[in-house]
Amino acid sequence: MMFGRYRGSFRREWGDILVEAESVDGLLTYRRRCGGQTFERILVLNTGEVIINPVEPVNLPRDITDFLLMEFSPMMIEPGATQTVYLKFPVEIGVFVESAKDIEVLDVFARGSQKYTLYGSPTNGVIARWYRSAVYPEIPPVEFFCEGVMELSIHNASHEWVEVSCAVFESTDMKLYYGDFVAASAKMKILGPSLAETDFIDAPLQTGMVKSIELYTARKIPVINRGYLMEWGF
Amino acid sequence: MAFNVTEVLEIPIGVGDITVERLLYFAVILTVGVIIAKVVSTNVRRILAERLPKNERELLTKLVYYGIIVWAFVVALPQLNFDLSGLLVAGGIVGLVIGFASQSVVSNLISGLFLMFEHPIRIGDNINVADVSGSVEDIRVLSTVIKTYDGVYVRIPNEKVFTSNITNYVHNAARRFEYQIGIRYQDDANAAIRIAKEVIETHPFALKSPAPSVFVDNFGDNSVNLTAYIWAPARNWWDVRTDLLWKIKLALEENGIEMPFPQRTVWFADGLEVKERSGEKKE
Repeated sequence: MMFGRYRGSFRREWGDILVEAESVDGLLTYRRRCGGQTFERILVLNTGEVIINPVEPVNLPRDITDFLLMEFSPMMIEPGATQTVYLKFPVEIGVFVESAKDIEVLDVFARGSQKYTLYGSPTNGVIARWYRSAVYPEIPPVEFFCEGVMELSIHNASHEWVEVSCAVFESTDMKLYYGDFVAASAKMKILGPSLAETDFIDAPLQTGMVKSIELYTARKIPVINRGYLMEWGF
Repeated sequence: MAFNVTEVLEIPIGVGDITVERLLYFAVILTVGVIIAKVVSTNVRRILAERLPKNERELLTKLVYYGIIVWAFVVALPQLNFDLSGLLVAGGIVGLVIGFASQSVVSNLISGLFLMFEHPIRIGDNINVADVSGSVEDIRVLSTVIKTYDGVYVRIPNEKVFTSNITNYVHNAARRFEYQIGIRYQDDANAAIRIAKEVIETHPFALKSPAPSVFVDNFGDNSVNLTAYIWAPARNWWDVRTDLLWKIKLALEENGIEMPFPQRTVWFADGLEVKERSGEKKE
Protein backbone atom coordinates (compact mmCIF):
# COMPACT_ATOMS: atom_id res chain seq x y z
CA MET A 1 0.00 0.00 0.00
CA MET A 2 1.43 3.31 -1.05
CA PHE A 3 -1.28 5.59 0.36
CA GLY A 4 -0.75 6.99 3.82
CA ARG A 5 1.38 9.41 5.87
CA TYR A 6 5.16 9.41 5.93
CA ARG A 7 7.66 11.24 8.08
CA GLY A 8 11.33 11.52 7.06
CA SER A 9 12.74 8.99 4.60
CA PHE A 10 10.51 6.40 2.97
CA ARG A 11 10.36 4.35 -0.20
CA ARG A 12 7.31 2.86 -1.86
CA GLU A 13 7.33 0.96 -5.13
CA TRP A 14 4.44 -0.51 -7.06
CA GLY A 15 4.96 -1.72 -10.62
CA ASP A 16 6.53 1.12 -12.54
CA ILE A 17 5.67 3.64 -9.82
CA LEU A 18 8.34 4.68 -7.37
CA VAL A 19 7.78 7.29 -4.68
CA GLU A 20 10.51 7.98 -2.17
CA ALA A 21 12.02 10.58 0.08
CA GLU A 22 15.66 10.03 0.89
CA SER A 23 18.48 12.06 2.31
CA VAL A 24 20.88 13.21 -0.42
CA ASP A 25 23.96 15.12 0.83
CA GLY A 26 22.07 15.95 4.00
CA LEU A 27 18.99 17.22 2.16
CA LEU A 28 15.74 15.29 2.20
CA THR A 29 14.76 14.81 -1.43
CA TYR A 30 11.35 13.70 -2.64
CA ARG A 31 11.53 11.71 -5.86
CA ARG A 32 8.77 10.21 -7.98
CA ARG A 33 8.98 8.05 -11.08
CA CYS A 34 5.88 7.00 -12.99
CA GLY A 35 5.36 6.08 -16.63
CA GLY A 36 8.84 7.22 -17.63
CA GLN A 37 8.41 10.64 -16.04
CA THR A 38 10.22 11.82 -12.96
CA PHE A 39 9.68 14.61 -10.47
CA GLU A 40 12.05 15.75 -7.75
CA ARG A 41 11.89 18.30 -4.92
CA ILE A 42 14.09 19.05 -1.93
CA LEU A 43 11.98 19.00 1.22
CA VAL A 44 12.72 21.09 4.27
CA LEU A 45 10.64 19.55 7.04
CA ASN A 46 10.67 20.06 10.78
CA THR A 47 7.54 18.33 11.93
CA GLY A 48 5.88 18.07 8.52
CA GLU A 49 4.65 14.89 6.93
CA VAL A 50 4.23 13.65 3.39
CA ILE A 51 0.75 12.38 2.59
CA ILE A 52 -0.04 10.24 -0.44
CA ASN A 53 -3.64 9.54 -1.42
CA PRO A 54 -5.92 9.39 -4.47
CA VAL A 55 -7.23 12.74 -5.69
CA GLU A 56 -9.85 14.06 -8.09
CA PRO A 57 -8.89 12.84 -11.60
CA VAL A 58 -8.92 16.16 -13.44
CA ASN A 59 -5.37 17.45 -13.01
CA LEU A 60 -3.30 15.73 -15.70
CA PRO A 61 -1.59 16.41 -17.97
CA ARG A 62 -2.59 19.95 -16.97
CA ASP A 63 -5.31 21.37 -14.77
CA ILE A 64 -7.79 22.77 -17.30
CA THR A 65 -11.18 21.79 -15.93
CA ASP A 66 -13.16 20.74 -12.87
CA PHE A 67 -15.45 18.33 -14.66
CA LEU A 68 -15.42 14.57 -15.08
CA LEU A 69 -17.57 12.95 -17.76
CA MET A 70 -18.21 9.25 -17.27
CA GLU A 71 -19.45 7.47 -20.38
CA PHE A 72 -20.98 4.05 -19.90
CA SER A 73 -23.12 1.45 -21.64
CA PRO A 74 -26.55 2.97 -22.39
CA MET A 75 -29.31 2.20 -19.90
CA MET A 76 -33.06 2.60 -20.48
CA ILE A 77 -34.69 3.70 -17.24
CA GLU A 78 -38.38 3.57 -16.45
CA PRO A 79 -40.09 6.69 -15.00
CA GLY A 80 -39.74 6.67 -11.22
CA ALA A 81 -37.18 3.82 -11.20
CA THR A 82 -33.94 3.88 -9.22
CA GLN A 83 -30.91 1.73 -9.95
CA THR A 84 -27.53 1.51 -8.27
CA VAL A 85 -24.68 0.51 -10.54
CA TYR A 86 -20.90 0.45 -10.28
CA LEU A 87 -18.53 2.17 -12.70
CA LYS A 88 -14.78 2.36 -12.95
CA PHE A 89 -13.25 5.84 -12.85
CA PRO A 90 -9.67 7.03 -13.39
CA VAL A 91 -7.45 7.62 -10.39
CA GLU A 92 -4.79 10.27 -9.97
CA ILE A 93 -2.41 10.20 -7.04
CA GLY A 94 -1.75 13.33 -5.04
CA VAL A 95 1.25 13.92 -2.81
CA PHE A 96 0.89 16.58 -0.11
CA VAL A 97 3.20 18.10 2.45
CA GLU A 98 1.46 18.88 5.70
CA SER A 99 2.47 20.71 8.84
CA ALA A 100 0.45 21.74 11.87
CA LYS A 101 -0.38 25.05 10.21
CA ASP A 102 -0.70 24.32 6.51
CA ILE A 103 -1.02 21.74 3.78
CA GLU A 104 0.27 22.08 0.23
CA VAL A 105 0.19 20.00 -2.96
CA LEU A 106 3.63 18.63 -3.82
CA ASP A 107 2.94 16.38 -6.78
CA VAL A 108 0.14 14.78 -8.79
CA PHE A 109 0.73 11.81 -11.05
CA ALA A 110 -1.12 8.91 -12.63
CA ARG A 111 -0.65 5.79 -14.65
CA GLY A 112 -2.23 5.60 -18.06
CA SER A 113 -3.37 8.32 -20.40
CA GLN A 114 -5.97 11.02 -20.19
CA LYS A 115 -8.59 12.21 -22.63
CA TYR A 116 -10.79 15.28 -22.55
CA THR A 117 -14.08 16.07 -24.20
CA LEU A 118 -16.65 18.82 -24.57
CA TYR A 119 -19.96 18.46 -22.79
CA GLY A 120 -22.57 20.71 -24.35
CA SER A 121 -22.06 23.17 -27.16
CA PRO A 122 -18.76 24.95 -27.91
CA THR A 123 -20.46 28.21 -26.86
CA ASN A 124 -21.97 27.22 -23.54
CA GLY A 125 -20.53 23.79 -22.80
CA VAL A 126 -17.73 22.73 -20.49
CA ILE A 127 -14.50 20.84 -21.04
CA ALA A 128 -14.48 17.61 -19.05
CA ARG A 129 -12.09 14.74 -18.39
CA TRP A 130 -13.52 11.80 -20.34
CA TYR A 131 -13.56 8.21 -19.19
CA ARG A 132 -15.47 5.21 -20.49
CA SER A 133 -16.56 2.41 -18.21
CA ALA A 134 -18.68 -0.67 -18.42
CA VAL A 135 -21.67 -0.89 -16.09
CA TYR A 136 -21.30 -3.41 -13.26
CA PRO A 137 -24.06 -4.70 -10.96
CA GLU A 138 -21.51 -5.30 -8.17
CA ILE A 139 -18.17 -3.84 -7.16
CA PRO A 140 -15.83 -4.84 -10.01
CA PRO A 141 -12.16 -5.75 -9.57
CA VAL A 142 -9.98 -2.77 -10.48
CA GLU A 143 -6.32 -2.16 -11.15
CA PHE A 144 -5.09 -0.35 -8.06
CA PHE A 145 -3.54 3.10 -8.74
CA CYS A 146 -5.20 3.15 -12.17
CA GLU A 147 -8.90 2.92 -11.51
CA GLY A 148 -11.39 3.31 -8.71
CA VAL A 149 -14.95 2.16 -8.21
CA MET A 150 -17.84 4.60 -8.29
CA GLU A 151 -21.17 3.60 -6.85
CA LEU A 152 -23.74 5.50 -8.88
CA SER A 153 -27.37 5.65 -7.88
CA ILE A 154 -29.52 6.76 -10.81
CA HIS A 155 -33.08 7.87 -10.20
CA ASN A 156 -35.44 8.78 -13.01
CA ALA A 157 -37.63 11.47 -11.47
CA SER A 158 -39.15 12.42 -14.83
CA HIS A 159 -42.36 11.09 -16.33
CA GLU A 160 -40.71 9.57 -19.38
CA TRP A 161 -38.48 6.66 -20.21
CA VAL A 162 -34.94 7.93 -20.60
CA GLU A 163 -31.74 6.52 -22.06
CA VAL A 164 -28.67 7.33 -19.98
CA SER A 165 -25.15 6.82 -21.26
CA CYS A 166 -23.11 9.45 -19.45
CA ALA A 167 -22.87 11.40 -16.24
CA VAL A 168 -20.98 14.64 -15.69
CA PHE A 169 -19.66 15.48 -12.24
CA GLU A 170 -18.06 18.56 -10.78
CA SER A 171 -14.85 17.26 -9.25
CA THR A 172 -14.80 19.92 -6.56
CA ASP A 173 -17.60 17.93 -4.92
CA MET A 174 -15.76 14.61 -5.22
CA LYS A 175 -15.18 12.68 -2.01
CA LEU A 176 -12.70 9.85 -2.39
CA TYR A 177 -12.05 7.00 0.02
CA TYR A 178 -9.43 4.31 -0.14
CA GLY A 179 -8.85 0.92 1.38
CA ASP A 180 -8.52 -2.23 -0.69
CA PHE A 181 -9.42 -0.01 -3.63
CA VAL A 182 -10.22 3.64 -4.34
CA ALA A 183 -13.92 4.44 -4.11
CA ALA A 184 -16.45 7.22 -4.55
CA SER A 185 -20.22 7.35 -4.24
CA ALA A 186 -22.43 9.51 -6.40
CA LYS A 187 -26.05 10.02 -7.33
CA MET A 188 -27.77 11.14 -10.48
CA LYS A 189 -31.33 12.41 -10.56
CA ILE A 190 -32.94 12.66 -13.97
CA LEU A 191 -35.29 15.62 -14.10
CA GLY A 192 -36.30 15.66 -17.77
CA PRO A 193 -35.43 14.41 -21.25
CA SER A 194 -32.09 16.25 -21.24
CA LEU A 195 -31.78 17.52 -17.68
CA ALA A 196 -30.19 15.77 -14.72
CA GLU A 197 -28.55 16.59 -11.41
CA THR A 198 -25.40 14.86 -10.23
CA ASP A 199 -23.64 15.02 -6.91
CA PHE A 200 -21.18 13.06 -4.83
CA ILE A 201 -22.04 11.45 -1.52
CA ASP A 202 -19.58 11.86 1.32
CA ALA A 203 -19.60 8.25 2.53
CA PRO A 204 -17.18 5.32 2.24
CA LEU A 205 -18.18 2.44 0.00
CA GLN A 206 -16.95 -0.09 2.56
CA THR A 207 -16.35 0.16 6.27
CA GLY A 208 -12.76 0.91 7.26
CA MET A 209 -11.99 3.03 4.22
CA VAL A 210 -9.94 6.20 4.77
CA LYS A 211 -11.04 9.55 3.40
CA SER A 212 -8.63 11.22 0.97
CA ILE A 213 -7.44 14.78 1.32
CA GLU A 214 -8.97 16.71 -1.58
CA LEU A 215 -6.86 18.90 -3.82
CA TYR A 216 -9.30 21.75 -3.40
CA THR A 217 -8.82 21.64 0.35
CA ALA A 218 -5.06 21.66 -0.03
CA ARG A 219 -5.17 24.45 -2.58
CA LYS A 220 -7.43 26.46 -0.27
CA ILE A 221 -9.94 27.06 -3.04
CA PRO A 222 -13.30 27.85 -1.48
CA VAL A 223 -16.02 25.73 -3.06
CA ILE A 224 -19.71 25.29 -2.42
CA ASN A 225 -20.94 21.75 -2.70
CA ARG A 226 -23.95 22.16 -4.91
CA GLY A 227 -23.61 19.30 -7.41
CA TYR A 228 -23.82 19.78 -11.14
CA LEU A 229 -26.81 20.34 -13.38
CA MET A 230 -26.47 18.48 -16.67
CA GLU A 231 -28.33 20.62 -19.18
CA TRP A 232 -27.15 19.14 -22.45
CA GLY A 233 -28.36 15.58 -22.21
CA PHE A 234 -27.05 12.34 -20.82
CA MET B 1 -35.89 79.73 35.69
CA ALA B 2 -37.43 77.29 33.13
CA PHE B 3 -35.33 76.07 30.13
CA ASN B 4 -37.21 76.78 26.88
CA VAL B 5 -35.91 74.73 23.91
CA THR B 6 -37.82 76.76 21.33
CA GLU B 7 -36.23 79.94 22.55
CA VAL B 8 -32.77 78.38 22.43
CA LEU B 9 -33.30 77.17 18.88
CA GLU B 10 -34.31 80.63 17.79
CA ILE B 11 -31.21 82.31 19.17
CA PRO B 12 -29.22 83.87 16.29
CA ILE B 13 -25.63 82.69 16.09
CA GLY B 14 -24.40 86.10 15.00
CA VAL B 15 -23.88 85.45 11.27
CA GLY B 16 -26.68 87.05 9.29
CA ASP B 17 -30.01 85.83 10.59
CA ILE B 18 -28.95 82.19 10.97
CA THR B 19 -30.37 80.60 14.09
CA VAL B 20 -29.19 77.63 16.14
CA GLU B 21 -32.09 75.64 14.67
CA ARG B 22 -30.91 76.25 11.08
CA LEU B 23 -27.35 75.40 12.04
CA LEU B 24 -28.56 72.15 13.60
CA TYR B 25 -30.55 71.31 10.45
CA PHE B 26 -27.43 71.94 8.37
CA ALA B 27 -25.38 69.64 10.61
CA VAL B 28 -28.06 66.93 10.61
CA ILE B 29 -28.38 66.97 6.79
CA LEU B 30 -24.61 66.74 6.43
CA THR B 31 -24.41 63.91 8.97
CA VAL B 32 -27.17 61.97 7.22
CA GLY B 33 -25.36 62.58 3.92
CA VAL B 34 -22.11 61.20 5.32
CA ILE B 35 -23.92 58.13 6.71
CA ILE B 36 -25.66 57.50 3.36
CA ALA B 37 -22.33 58.00 1.55
CA LYS B 38 -20.63 55.47 3.81
CA VAL B 39 -23.38 52.86 3.41
CA VAL B 40 -23.64 53.29 -0.36
CA SER B 41 -19.87 53.31 -0.94
CA THR B 42 -19.42 50.19 1.22
CA ASN B 43 -22.04 48.38 -0.82
CA VAL B 44 -20.57 49.62 -4.10
CA ARG B 45 -17.19 48.30 -2.98
CA ARG B 46 -18.73 44.95 -2.07
CA ILE B 47 -20.66 44.63 -5.35
CA LEU B 48 -17.63 45.53 -7.45
CA ALA B 49 -15.27 43.34 -5.42
CA GLU B 50 -15.07 40.61 -8.06
CA ARG B 51 -15.75 42.75 -11.09
CA LEU B 52 -13.02 45.36 -10.88
CA PRO B 53 -9.38 45.48 -9.86
CA LYS B 54 -8.73 47.09 -6.49
CA ASN B 55 -7.47 50.46 -7.72
CA GLU B 56 -10.43 50.96 -10.07
CA ARG B 57 -12.83 49.81 -7.39
CA GLU B 58 -11.44 52.28 -4.86
CA LEU B 59 -11.61 55.10 -7.40
CA LEU B 60 -15.27 54.44 -8.16
CA THR B 61 -16.09 54.03 -4.48
CA LYS B 62 -14.50 57.39 -3.67
CA LEU B 63 -16.36 59.04 -6.54
CA VAL B 64 -19.65 57.73 -5.16
CA TYR B 65 -18.73 58.70 -1.59
CA TYR B 66 -17.74 62.28 -2.35
CA GLY B 67 -20.57 62.69 -4.86
CA ILE B 68 -23.13 61.94 -2.14
CA ILE B 69 -21.39 64.27 0.32
CA VAL B 70 -21.38 67.12 -2.22
CA TRP B 71 -25.07 66.45 -2.87
CA ALA B 72 -25.81 66.58 0.91
CA PHE B 73 -23.79 69.79 1.20
CA VAL B 74 -25.76 71.43 -1.63
CA VAL B 75 -29.04 70.31 -0.04
CA ALA B 76 -27.94 71.66 3.37
CA LEU B 77 -26.63 75.02 2.16
CA PRO B 78 -30.03 76.82 2.05
CA GLN B 79 -30.25 76.27 5.82
CA LEU B 80 -27.43 78.81 6.10
CA ASN B 81 -29.33 81.21 3.87
CA PHE B 82 -26.80 80.62 1.11
CA ASP B 83 -28.17 81.70 -2.25
CA LEU B 84 -27.54 78.83 -4.69
CA SER B 85 -28.69 80.69 -7.78
CA GLY B 86 -25.31 82.38 -8.26
CA LEU B 87 -23.56 79.07 -7.63
CA LEU B 88 -25.82 77.36 -10.11
CA VAL B 89 -25.04 79.92 -12.86
CA ALA B 90 -21.32 79.66 -12.16
CA GLY B 91 -21.61 75.90 -11.83
CA GLY B 92 -23.49 75.71 -15.12
CA ILE B 93 -20.78 77.59 -16.99
CA VAL B 94 -18.00 75.60 -15.33
CA GLY B 95 -19.95 72.40 -15.99
CA LEU B 96 -20.26 73.32 -19.66
CA VAL B 97 -16.53 73.94 -19.95
CA ILE B 98 -15.64 70.77 -18.06
CA GLY B 99 -18.21 68.83 -20.08
CA PHE B 100 -16.62 69.83 -23.40
CA ALA B 101 -13.13 69.24 -22.06
CA SER B 102 -13.90 65.84 -20.58
CA GLN B 103 -16.10 64.52 -23.36
CA SER B 104 -13.69 61.76 -24.35
CA VAL B 105 -12.92 60.95 -20.72
CA VAL B 106 -16.60 60.47 -19.93
CA SER B 107 -17.07 58.49 -23.12
CA ASN B 108 -14.19 56.19 -22.14
CA LEU B 109 -15.54 55.92 -18.61
CA ILE B 110 -19.02 54.91 -19.76
CA SER B 111 -17.55 52.46 -22.30
CA GLY B 112 -15.36 51.02 -19.55
CA LEU B 113 -18.37 50.49 -17.32
CA PHE B 114 -20.25 48.76 -20.15
CA LEU B 115 -17.22 46.56 -20.85
CA MET B 116 -17.05 45.58 -17.19
CA PHE B 117 -20.69 44.61 -17.00
CA GLU B 118 -21.14 43.11 -20.48
CA HIS B 119 -17.96 41.01 -20.18
CA PRO B 120 -17.07 40.56 -23.87
CA ILE B 121 -13.50 40.20 -22.64
CA ARG B 122 -11.90 39.15 -19.37
CA ILE B 123 -8.42 39.49 -17.99
CA GLY B 124 -6.23 36.76 -19.50
CA ASP B 125 -8.35 36.31 -22.65
CA ASN B 126 -6.64 36.15 -26.02
CA ILE B 127 -8.31 38.74 -28.20
CA ASN B 128 -8.04 40.85 -31.29
CA VAL B 129 -9.42 44.35 -31.01
CA ALA B 130 -8.72 47.43 -33.11
CA ASP B 131 -6.09 45.44 -35.06
CA VAL B 132 -4.21 44.59 -31.88
CA SER B 133 -3.82 40.91 -30.96
CA GLY B 134 -2.71 39.73 -27.57
CA SER B 135 -3.86 38.82 -24.10
CA VAL B 136 -5.85 41.18 -21.91
CA GLU B 137 -3.68 42.36 -19.02
CA ASP B 138 -6.12 44.74 -17.38
CA ILE B 139 -9.51 46.34 -17.93
CA ARG B 140 -9.46 49.77 -16.31
CA VAL B 141 -12.09 52.45 -16.00
CA LEU B 142 -10.72 54.47 -18.92
CA SER B 143 -8.61 52.02 -20.88
CA THR B 144 -7.87 48.39 -21.59
CA VAL B 145 -4.30 47.12 -21.46
CA ILE B 146 -3.25 44.40 -23.87
CA LYS B 147 0.03 42.54 -23.94
CA THR B 148 0.71 41.56 -27.53
CA TYR B 149 2.16 38.15 -28.30
CA ASP B 150 5.53 39.90 -28.73
CA GLY B 151 5.27 41.10 -25.13
CA VAL B 152 4.51 44.72 -26.05
CA TYR B 153 2.29 46.86 -23.78
CA VAL B 154 -0.64 48.43 -25.65
CA ARG B 155 -3.16 50.73 -24.00
CA ILE B 156 -6.42 51.12 -25.88
CA PRO B 157 -9.06 53.67 -24.78
CA ASN B 158 -12.22 51.90 -23.72
CA GLU B 159 -14.35 53.81 -26.21
CA LYS B 160 -12.29 52.32 -29.04
CA VAL B 161 -12.52 48.83 -27.53
CA PHE B 162 -16.26 49.14 -27.07
CA THR B 163 -16.95 50.41 -30.60
CA SER B 164 -14.56 48.01 -32.37
CA ASN B 165 -15.14 44.44 -33.46
CA ILE B 166 -13.80 42.25 -30.68
CA THR B 167 -12.60 38.75 -31.51
CA ASN B 168 -12.24 36.74 -28.33
CA TYR B 169 -10.41 33.53 -29.12
CA VAL B 170 -11.09 31.90 -25.76
CA HIS B 171 -14.64 33.02 -25.02
CA ASN B 172 -16.05 29.62 -25.96
CA ALA B 173 -15.05 26.42 -24.20
CA ALA B 174 -13.65 24.78 -27.34
CA ARG B 175 -12.46 25.76 -30.78
CA ARG B 176 -11.53 23.97 -33.97
CA PHE B 177 -8.37 24.11 -36.01
CA GLU B 178 -7.37 22.36 -39.19
CA TYR B 179 -4.40 20.79 -40.93
CA GLN B 180 -3.77 20.24 -44.60
CA ILE B 181 -1.81 17.03 -45.12
CA GLY B 182 -0.55 16.12 -48.60
CA ILE B 183 0.29 12.50 -49.45
CA ARG B 184 1.60 10.93 -52.66
CA TYR B 185 -0.85 9.67 -55.26
CA GLN B 186 0.40 6.11 -54.86
CA ASP B 187 -0.16 6.14 -51.07
CA ASP B 188 -3.23 4.60 -49.48
CA ALA B 189 -5.43 7.53 -48.43
CA ASN B 190 -7.58 5.31 -46.17
CA ALA B 191 -4.49 4.14 -44.30
CA ALA B 192 -3.30 7.74 -43.97
CA ILE B 193 -6.68 8.78 -42.54
CA ARG B 194 -6.62 5.89 -40.07
CA ILE B 195 -3.07 6.69 -38.93
CA ALA B 196 -3.81 10.40 -38.54
CA LYS B 197 -6.92 9.61 -36.48
CA GLU B 198 -4.94 7.24 -34.27
CA VAL B 199 -2.35 9.95 -33.56
CA ILE B 200 -5.05 12.52 -32.83
CA GLU B 201 -6.77 10.04 -30.50
CA THR B 202 -3.64 9.73 -28.35
CA HIS B 203 -3.50 13.45 -27.58
CA PRO B 204 -5.28 14.21 -24.29
CA PHE B 205 -6.51 17.64 -25.40
CA ALA B 206 -7.67 16.69 -28.90
CA LEU B 207 -11.28 16.44 -27.80
CA LYS B 208 -13.18 13.17 -27.92
CA SER B 209 -16.33 15.13 -28.71
CA PRO B 210 -16.78 16.94 -31.08
CA ALA B 211 -14.92 14.10 -32.78
CA PRO B 212 -11.97 14.89 -35.04
CA SER B 213 -12.57 14.55 -38.74
CA VAL B 214 -9.96 13.52 -41.34
CA PHE B 215 -10.92 13.16 -44.99
CA VAL B 216 -9.66 13.44 -48.57
CA ASP B 217 -10.35 17.06 -49.41
CA ASN B 218 -8.98 17.51 -52.92
CA PHE B 219 -6.52 16.27 -55.53
CA GLY B 220 -3.65 18.73 -55.75
CA ASP B 221 -1.03 19.18 -58.44
CA ASN B 222 1.51 17.17 -56.51
CA SER B 223 -0.43 15.39 -53.78
CA VAL B 224 -3.70 14.01 -52.55
CA ASN B 225 -4.69 16.55 -49.93
CA LEU B 226 -6.22 15.41 -46.67
CA THR B 227 -7.89 17.83 -44.30
CA ALA B 228 -8.06 17.22 -40.56
CA TYR B 229 -10.49 19.11 -38.34
CA ILE B 230 -9.65 18.89 -34.65
CA TRP B 231 -11.43 20.42 -31.67
CA ALA B 232 -9.42 21.44 -28.61
CA PRO B 233 -10.06 23.39 -25.42
CA ALA B 234 -10.00 27.08 -26.43
CA ARG B 235 -7.26 27.93 -23.96
CA ASN B 236 -5.02 25.06 -25.10
CA TRP B 237 -5.69 24.84 -28.80
CA TRP B 238 -2.37 26.35 -29.84
CA ASP B 239 -0.39 23.79 -27.82
CA VAL B 240 -2.39 20.98 -29.40
CA ARG B 241 -1.97 22.44 -32.87
CA THR B 242 1.80 22.77 -32.58
CA ASP B 243 2.16 19.37 -30.95
CA LEU B 244 0.10 17.17 -33.24
CA LEU B 245 1.20 18.04 -36.75
CA TRP B 246 4.74 16.73 -36.43
CA LYS B 247 3.51 13.58 -34.68
CA ILE B 248 1.14 12.91 -37.59
CA LYS B 249 3.98 13.44 -40.08
CA LEU B 250 6.24 11.01 -38.21
CA ALA B 251 3.51 8.40 -37.89
CA LEU B 252 2.71 8.59 -41.61
CA GLU B 253 6.37 8.23 -42.55
CA GLU B 254 6.78 5.25 -40.21
CA ASN B 255 4.04 3.58 -42.21
CA GLY B 256 5.60 4.38 -45.56
CA ILE B 257 3.33 7.29 -46.41
CA GLU B 258 5.26 10.35 -47.48
CA MET B 259 4.55 13.96 -48.23
CA PRO B 260 5.61 14.62 -51.82
CA PHE B 261 7.77 17.45 -53.08
CA PRO B 262 6.39 19.56 -55.93
CA GLN B 263 7.02 17.68 -59.15
CA ARG B 264 6.46 17.94 -62.91
CA THR B 265 6.31 15.19 -65.48
CA VAL B 266 7.94 16.53 -68.66
CA TRP B 267 7.24 14.89 -72.06
CA PHE B 268 9.64 15.50 -74.96
CA ALA B 269 8.10 15.34 -78.39
CA ASP B 270 11.19 13.66 -79.93
CA GLY B 271 12.38 11.78 -76.91
CA LEU B 272 15.24 12.81 -74.63
CA GLU B 273 18.66 12.56 -76.26
CA VAL B 274 21.87 12.97 -74.32
CA LYS B 275 24.54 14.58 -76.49
CA GLU B 276 28.21 14.17 -75.78
CA ARG B 277 30.16 17.38 -75.27
CA SER B 278 33.29 17.77 -77.45
CA GLY B 279 35.78 18.29 -74.58
CA GLU B 280 34.86 15.09 -72.70
CA LYS B 281 36.98 11.97 -72.97
CA LYS B 282 35.59 8.73 -74.18
CA GLU B 283 36.04 5.84 -71.75
